[in-house]
Amino acid sequence: MKTSFSIKSVLPVLYFITGMVILGGIWALVSKLTKNELPNPQTTWLVFKEVMHKPFQNDPDYKGIGTKLLSSLGRVGIGFGLGSLVAIPFGLLMGSSKIAMKIINPIVQILKPVSPLAWFPLGLAIFQDSPKASIFMIFICSVWPTLINTAFGAANVPQDHKNVSKAFGFSKSKYLTKILLPFSLPHIITGLKLSIGVAWMVIVAGEMLSGGQGLGYFVWEEGFNGGSTAKILVAIIIIGIVGSILDKCFTWLQTRFSYTA
Amino acid sequence: MSDTSLIGSTTEDMNAIAEKILEQAISSDKSIEIDSVTVSFKTDKGVYTAVKDISLSVNKGEIISLIGHSGCGKSTLMGTISGMVKPTSGEVTANGKKVSAPGPDRGIVFQNYSLLPWLTVYENIYVAVDSALNQKTKKEKVTLVETNLKMVNLWEHKDKLPGQLSGGMKQRVAIARAFAINPEILLLDEPFGALDALTKSAMHVELLKLWNISHREKTIVMVTHDIEEAIFLSDRVVVMNNGPQATIKEIVNVPLPRPRNKKDIVHDPVYMTIHDKLLSLLVDKFSIND
Repeated sequence: MKTSFSIKSVLPVLYFITGMVILGGIWALVSKLTKNELPNPQTTWLVFKEVMHKPFQNDPDYKGIGTKLLSSLGRVGIGFGLGSLVAIPFGLLMGSSKIAMKIINPIVQILKPVSPLAWFPLGLAIFQDSPKASIFMIFICSVWPTLINTAFGAANVPQDHKNVSKAFGFSKSKYLTKILLPFSLPHIITGLKLSIGVAWMVIVAGEMLSGGQGLGYFVWEEGFNGGSTAKILVAIIIIGIVGSILDKCFTWLQTRFSYTA
Repeated sequence: MSDTSLIGSTTEDMNAIAEKILEQAISSDKSIEIDSVTVSFKTDKGVYTAVKDISLSVNKGEIISLIGHSGCGKSTLMGTISGMVKPTSGEVTANGKKVSAPGPDRGIVFQNYSLLPWLTVYENIYVAVDSALNQKTKKEKVTLVETNLKMVNLWEHKDKLPGQLSGGMKQRVAIARAFAINPEILLLDEPFGALDALTKSAMHVELLKLWNISHREKTIVMVTHDIEEAIFLSDRVVVMNNGPQATIKEIVNVPLPRPRNKKDIVHDPVYMTIHDKLLSLLVDKFSIND
């Protein structure tokens, strides 16, 4: 019997480990050079284990790291979800109609470059509630990439597909569900992937501003104000891993919904 | 007897009746009527006239090929029949109605199959049937899809996506899709251009088989640049001049009896004469001058 264990399948793991070892090496070196101002990997590991003790503790006076992570993810999910619900239909509209494109595009071009953090005080003024302001901020910043990519996809439906629709007399709804949406889907997912990336970056900054909840608050309050640089590092690692998992999910969706003729 | 009803009617009535019968006879015979059609496009460099003042009529059940060099406007002319291209002047009548848009009475097989890559073979045909024949019941539509897929021997591949099929199989799906909406006219735009020679031959036979099954009542118009293909399939071959402002150079009749056999036909003197004639119409010089 042939072994299913071959060099080829092990290689990616080896590359991954090599990368991690290099990162750890640089980290340890910097830590040594700064005379442990930046905690070394070993110290950070100890703090990590401590932080991970009862991660889902949810007492009024203390919330575990897992609870904080979930609350951050929850807000990202709501903001990103609402943003996508707005971005996808408008993107399809922009891509399908030149007039809609000409009307909506200038708005997008002006609002897109605005730093997501600038929307936070506006959200606070509107909702008088900092978690809602965070959601508002996530909502705004996750609209743009999805909107632009959806519009790009919808604007590039091949003439071949349009001809099929004409030749067999597809109704508007049939064109939408059988041609426009399936063709645009990979582009929509690309947009969603970029949007969730931005949203995940922004939530930490937002929570530093809003305070009280989430991973951003953990970084600021327990890490910086609490004088534990190791906790900041732990938070960075967790944020990074969760972010890359989110990215992987959308990459998977992308391959799942890509078709070749 | 209907003759008795004529007794006692005036000459005027008789004339009217005769005219009516004649009209019906003519219109039922004619499948496509292209009447001095010109197609021009606006481009950056001014107006480009693809085809100019073309008239052609095609009988019901006839197979005709439009042949010519690339860019001679044969696809454009075909587009005016399908309704995808609007003539700048002149008009096209198909099945007795003026063509203004694509319709389910004219099935189209596109150059590059044009299957929707996210739908299975079955769904690709179903979605076309569902749209074109929306007055039919779900059960009738399902039966249509099934019969047509079985006709091209693709029933066992019905759940595959187009990306999993070979070129020949994709083209069979496209043909099954066009036949499934049961059009009176079938328009094929370089349908076998992308196929290898062996698959191409098999597809020719397949197409004629389908045409026979439908009692040779469907009119087929095919755009091609393959002389052998044109002769083997057609009753008439329409040779077009090079564009711009392309016109019909000559219409060559193919009086070979059907069914035609691919292997035997090439030795037929009639075939050879037609082949030579088409070749000389399409290629100006046979020899290469040093």
